Amino acid sequence: MATEKRDKEEEEVKTDDGSLKIKPRPIVQLGIFLVAHSPVFSVVFSAAGVLALLILPLLAKNTYISENALMPGSARSMLSNRDVSDGSKLVKDIKNYRLNHEGQVQKLIGKYMSEMGAEVYYQKFHPEGNQFHPLHFFSGPDSYTLLDNVSCASYGVNVAGIIRAPRGDGKESIVLVTPYDFINGGDYEALSLGITGTLFSLLARVTWLSKDIIWLVADSRYGDYRPVAAWLTEYHSPSFKDSDLLKCGELNTADKFRRAGTMAAALVLKVDGRSERFEDTLSIYAEASNGQMPNLDLINVVNYLAVHRQGFYVKVEKVVSLLSSSWLKIIGEIFEAVGKLAHTLNPDWNFGIPTADYLEGSATLASSLYSQALGIPTGPHGAFRDYQVDAITLKVSPRFPPDSKTRQHDFFLRGAKLLEGTIRSVNNLLEKFHQSFFLYLLTSPSKFISVGVYMIAFALLVASLPMVAASLYIDGCKALNNSTLNPAGNFKSWKWLDAAKQVFALHLFGLIVTLLPYFICQVPGQHSPSNRSIMWGTTSSSLLLITFATIPGCSPFSSRRHGTNWAVLKSVTISAAFIGLCLMSIINFATAEIGALLLVPTCLIVQPIKPALRSRRIKSLLGAFCSMVLLTIGFPVMLFAISKGLFGEGLVGLSLGGEFWTWLESLWAWKSATYLYIGMVHLPCWLLCLCILFHPS
Amino acid sequence: MKIVILVMLLCYSFAFSSGDTTIHTNNWAVLVCTSRFWFNYRHMANTLSLYRTVKRLGIPDERIILMLADDMACNARNEYPAQVFNNENHKLNLYGDNVEVDYRGYEVTVENFLRVLTGRHENAVPRSKRLLSDEGSHILLYMTGHGGDEFLKFQDAEELQSHDLADAVKQMKEKRRFKELMIMVDTCQAATLFNQLQSPGVLAIGSSLKGENSYSHHLDSDVGVSVVDRFTYYTLAFFERLNIYDNASLNSLFRSYDPKLLMSTAYYRTDLYQPHLAEVPVTNFFGSVMETIHTDSVYKAFSSKTSNNKINSEMPVNQLSEHDELQKANIPNDELKTEKQKCPYTQMRVDLHEKLEKFENVDTVVNLGIAVMVFVVMISSSLL
Repeated sequence: MATEKRDKEEEEVKTDDGSLKIKPRPIVQLGIFLVAHSPVFSVVFSAAGVLALLILPLLAKNTYISENALMPGSARSMLSNRDVSDGSKLVKDIKNYRLNHEGQVQKLIGKYMSEMGAEVYYQKFHPEGNQFHPLHFFSGPDSYTLLDNVSCASYGVNVAGIIRAPRGDGKESIVLVTPYDFINGGDYEALSLGITGTLFSLLARVTWLSKDIIWLVADSRYGDYRPVAAWLTEYHSPSFKDSDLLKCGELNTADKFRRAGTMAAALVLKVDGRSERFEDTLSIYAEASNGQMPNLDLINVVNYLAVHRQGFYVKVEKVVSLLSSSWLKIIGEIFEAVGKLAHTLNPDWNFGIPTADYLEGSATLASSLYSQALGIPTGPHGAFRDYQVDAITLKVSPRFPPDSKTRQHDFFLRGAKLLEGTIRSVNNLLEKFHQSFFLYLLTSPSKFISVGVYMIAFALLVASLPMVAASLYIDGCKALNNSTLNPAGNFKSWKWLDAAKQVFALHLFGLIVTLLPYFICQVPGQHSPSNRSIMWGTTSSSLLLITFATIPGCSPFSSRRHGTNWAVLKSVTISAAFIGLCLMSIINFATAEIGALLLVPTCLIVQPIKPALRSRRIKSLLGAFCSMVLLTIGFPVMLFAISKGLFGEGLVGLSLGGEFWTWLESLWAWKSATYLYIGMVHLPCWLLCLCILFHPS
Repeated sequence: MKIVILVMLLCYSFAFSSGDTTIHTNNWAVLVCTSRFWFNYRHMANTLSLYRTVKRLGIPDERIILMLADDMACNARNEYPAQVFNNENHKLNLYGDNVEVDYRGYEVTVENFLRVLTGRHENAVPRSKRLLSDEGSHILLYMTGHGGDEFLKFQDAEELQSHDLADAVKQMKEKRRFKELMIMVDTCQAATLFNQLQSPGVLAIGSSLKGENSYSHHLDSDVGVSVVDRFTYYTLAFFERLNIYDNASLNSLFRSYDPKLLMSTAYYRTDLYQPHLAEVPVTNFFGSVMETIHTDSVYKAFSSKTSNNKINSEMPVNQLSEHDELQKANIPNDELKTEKQKCPYTQMRVDLHEKLEKFENVDTVVNLGIAVMVFVVMISSSLL
């Protein structure tokens, strides 16, 4: 060993011509190499990142049941015609009752449940939604406080029935939710009650339950989400004070709120509209707040049973406008051709998929990304995710009109069989869902992309940022050393401080702008959303002006002496963007991915416009033009408008500000981290890029 | 002559220790289901089916150690409470009234399993939970569960490795806890579990080779789970045709496994097992059928017809006539017995005893014996 070491040393000495300088380690060498050639590599990495995103539909894997215990479809359905006629009777009764009586349909449903042998109770709740509070962002579900001075003017009543597992330990439960508007509910909505009623009739007499079954008929008069959230809050955080609500109305809900152990899974069933296809359609909605997804196994079980046992046409949401986009079609064709070529070269390479599949996959993937990035739950199942309960919403569209009796029987039977199979699978579980993925994107109901694959696209996009930052910093330092007569050699490492000050100031500004809506909401009086957005806009811009005025060197319009070197400023901006994006990718990956698609090119391409205009070279002019375009798109309001246009929703012209406000309001009402991202990462970085664009160098 | 006989005496004591000459006197079965959880219903059904079979073929409950890692019968998910079936026709409830489970639930651990095999129990463990076999025992060890390359999973928490099993078997052999041992394993890659076995008298059969899975036979769509594994299913199908008096050989059992039906290749290891498989009836392990050997007296050490005659000749005459009557009664039995059927151990002692009887001066023999022993002690101590 010793001799070897000496040999090595000798070698080193020889190679370095006697000097004792030790060669840097390979990884350091690689870093230096990357930084030195950062322009090339940044373009390569960013392009690769975008390409990786486009290639994702090709890399999607077929879903599979990962948990052994589930065993979907292994048990024969035990539903009988008697159960179905029970369900049909319930629907008929509800219809008749609503024709002849005014008032509480809930009692009727409650009566049905107790006839089946379930424990029934009613819960009154306030329709009051979430309010924006800056401190509530990551605090999880509200500790919903009961207001003392509640009015009886508006309240909803939920009905819940619990079937106890005959030989179960009563520590776990499965929840079925059917939102139903007791006042205005249509015929289609009543069908969901019919399906669940059919199922309930069966579950009340089976012997194989190991978990209790809760059927919650949520009063969806005030939206689907709110009643479920209110019920869940009371389920998990019992209040020991009698609410004033109890005295409201004729329905006495003073009887105890009943519980049934921790929830293993929840299924929300909705029936709406007629199916456009020949088969009955089942749409699966899974996204909860902040891009959280239920365990993939739950979707797999439902998908497996729906497709292979009950013959539903299963779909997940997709961006319809993408299906007809020509550029995506061209990309799909290219991939198909490449796939075919690869297959001829080596028969084992089978990654090519037909263009139509690619288009479908991309449209679904885009919708999956968008829904996750938005951070707003796509249905009442989102309320369950706040309590770490896996839940999905199943929206069934029958292919017959709601008054067709003969078809209804078959529809109830199949719907209830699907739910029975799913419940029997979940019933087999011994632990919470944990075996399959929680981080995934769907490209079809039976195909998914796991976190390990989709992270690559983001990692490639972001990888160029630190490289460029380092290289810019080195350039900036050189420039500073050349330009200043008084070489600040002692403070060489502190050159980024001025730039950092500016970056910090603008991030602080971003934070204040983020919190402003809270104070605007506190302004007394009724204001329309557009008024509020104007208030917000004016306060923000005046604040920005104040920031520029008070902190020297912050503004792009300050004299050159105070201004920092733009290269260093850009370097620090890029670093800040990098940190922001990476942090966001942990909180909500989809937001970070979409954000990176915008922010990374903007940050990389932006350069002071003045020298570019002065030089009049095509390359620099083109660069300036690109950065102008990217910055215009990057303005959050503009982005909102474009995304609206992309998703096929028409703009109402002047009310853009108002719509934007409403949109943001929904974001913070749902505690979406995307709102924080826009305010605290995107906006400051965008402003900094503006500063660089107009930098007077 | 006398010295020769003394050497024979010494040899005899050594021969006794090797135990090869002992005869098959009793049968034991250790039946183990190692996996818990509802979806492993079939493993419990496998074990209970085999339990039923060996009981039917004559091994009494007190000689069966039944280890079940979970209680499917009382699982809330079981549509038929307190019943376990191994077939979807639900004709045979395996979990009837007379099932004695010795180790249940979390008691089924690798530690307890090895303790049962090696007999190293704590004092408090009741006799019913011990494998009280001896050098004349034939033991059937049946295990089912989830296995892999040289291991078998216990309870989703621990593993029994092939080394552990081989070590336990070796200990059993050294402690003379069995004469012959048959290990039957129905898991994935079951053959790998036998890789480390070295002890003689061990016959091993597994459901699958390395790299193969063992599959379940069919699914009961009322219960909602698979109810029996293929290997066990066809093993049971073989035994259902037999009754306690049948002479089917182990070879015919082993030949009954069809790789196409099993979807895996049954593997058996016979290199440690001397007898020819075609001559060994399956009831040697799966039942409790053995030859009965008549002994006149239970308590006398040198109990044999010939020696009795000698002793009796010196008896008083009035007792002699009585004894003769007994002798006559025994004659038909004696005639039926062939020479082969005589216990070799007893035979050897009888021969020795006869020779000892011929000596006239017993004192000389004793003195000579002491001298020889002193001589031997001197030599051995000087060698040490």
